[in-house]
Amino acid sequence: MDKENHSSKPIIISIISLTLFLGIWELVCRGGLIDPVFMPAPSKIFARAVKLIGNGELMAHTLASTRRVMVGFMISSMVAIPFGIFLGSSRLFMAICDPFISLLRPLPSMSWIPLSLLWLGITETQKYSIVFMGSFAPSLLYIIEATKSIDPLLIRAARNLGASKLDVMREVILPGALPQIISGLKVMLGIAWTCIISAELVAAREGLGFMIMNGKEYFQTDTVMLGMVMISITVMVIDVVFKKFERRLLPWTR
Amino acid sequence: MQLKKVNISTLLLALTMAVMLTLAPGTASADNKPEKVTVIYGGSSWLGHYPAWVGMEKGLFKKHGLGVLFQNFYASSGRMGSLIAGDLDVASTGSISAIALMAVGNKSFFAFGTQDSYATVEGIIARDGINSLKDLKGKKLAAPFASSAHVLVLDLLQQAGLDPEKDLTLLNLKVNEMPAAMSSGEIDACAAWTPHFNKLLNMKGNHLLANDTEFSLYKKYKLGPGPDLLVVRKDFAQKYPNTCNAFVKGYFEAIDMLINKPEECAQVLVKLTNLNMEDQMTVLKDIEWIPGSKQKALMSDPGDFVKGMQKLGDFLTRHGQIDQSPMVKDWVTTDMLP
Repeated sequence: MDKENHSSKPIIISIISLTLFLGIWELVCRGGLIDPVFMPAPSKIFARAVKLIGNGELMAHTLASTRRVMVGFMISSMVAIPFGIFLGSSRLFMAICDPFISLLRPLPSMSWIPLSLLWLGITETQKYSIVFMGSFAPSLLYIIEATKSIDPLLIRAARNLGASKLDVMREVILPGALPQIISGLKVMLGIAWTCIISAELVAAREGLGFMIMNGKEYFQTDTVMLGMVMISITVMVIDVVFKKFERRLLPWTR
Repeated sequence: MQLKKVNISTLLLALTMAVMLTLAPGTASADNKPEKVTVIYGGSSWLGHYPAWVGMEKGLFKKHGLGVLFQNFYASSGRMGSLIAGDLDVASTGSISAIALMAVGNKSFFAFGTQDSYATVEGIIARDGINSLKDLKGKKLAAPFASSAHVLVLDLLQQAGLDPEKDLTLLNLKVNEMPAAMSSGEIDACAAWTPHFNKLLNMKGNHLLANDTEFSLYKKYKLGPGPDLLVVRKDFAQKYPNTCNAFVKGYFEAIDMLINKPEECAQVLVKLTNLNMEDQMTVLKDIEWIPGSKQKALMSDPGDFVKGMQKLGDFLTRHGQIDQSPMVKDWVTTDMLP
């Protein structure tokens, strides 16, 4: 009983702080202290959400963006995980690839728009590629670091016991690095979502990024903020799913 | 003691100067001199900003004691956002942005004029084989959403009995990305405005499908899908009436110059547009400038322009682009006009 009270306390505090924040925000807006073009009241954002849920637009935008982010992110992870483990376990190849990774790492996803348009046109693939480029280099670095963090003593011990390179990879490096890789990918998924505005800037007619930019053109700040809230909520939901997946995949880390 | 005397006389002198400086704007105001000598104008290389540029380059504002600072913006929405945030004093804007801002109830600006009509430099360009709007069925058509070209497309598709959601693929694309998309075959048609409109028309295999003259409100009110509108920040207009009058005088003198001496104007406009003289003259020939003498009749309620703008607001509401149609006349002022 005491334990239950203890665990529910932070949730109650969070709910109170959120309610207070929304209440003050609503009062400030209703009192005319802020022009609604600059900051709409929470009730206006809610009303916009109700309208867009009613006509199905909000779900369509959310699904379109989720699809783009997930496809771009999955491809990025599928390339980054084996490549990162390989680079993390080979000093020679790390030295060869390091300058290229350093060049790619600081590039914002938006900087890939002109080239991706030339290479891939105004297709869905172009949108996936923006998410891919925005999340690939940071994911790769996370995986390299996770692989490098394996205690070299464990690798040496396995080798001394007669394990082949493949055995070492399968029995030592992968189980050791996987928890860190999964945690890194969770962070990277959040980063992949930050690419959605860039991805939907060109030739998109649906998606949360499109919804935000189109709302901006018509000064519908409530639509803009609703789009932002939806990105956050979607990331939170995906995070919960990811955590469940993590528990199943890595039972030894519980 | 001597030091004290000096200090007192210095203080008196400073006070006198301060009083004179404080009174100076009042005196200037009485003489109809601008209360504020610099106006920050929001523009771009679009033709609607030619008069402001010509006025600056030809010293027409300076003649009225005014300096104009020209700030560049890619889109009207950014320009209007900066105007209501207080970063700009005066601007020309595409009317869709202005109507959208009216629709959300923002009352911090006035519309005081419309400077041009350009129905033949914006339209839908299609690939050969698409000979009518009905031929667009099943094709890919691009337009920059939330723009005059988008409104034109929605209107023309409606006239042709086509549903943009079901009958074709309508893509959101910026005008500067259209030439590449047309040449690579990714789109079959696009709606654009000058100078990209002219570039697209000159590309092999392309032709004009329809222009602004086909727009339903143009047929009735001679109003294009996104006519240019002159706007001023409300508190600026109220605080600095002489400055606004000086701006308007210089501005419409620039329009007179654009009408009477287009070649002379083209020489200074190429610096803004980066077009060559020949192309610049071609664009100028396609524009009908509206002089100061005709402004009051257009902008007064129920002038044709205000009526047309109201219809445009209703059109945007019908097509779900804005939530409600604003009462446009509430944002229009004729006080600043000659």
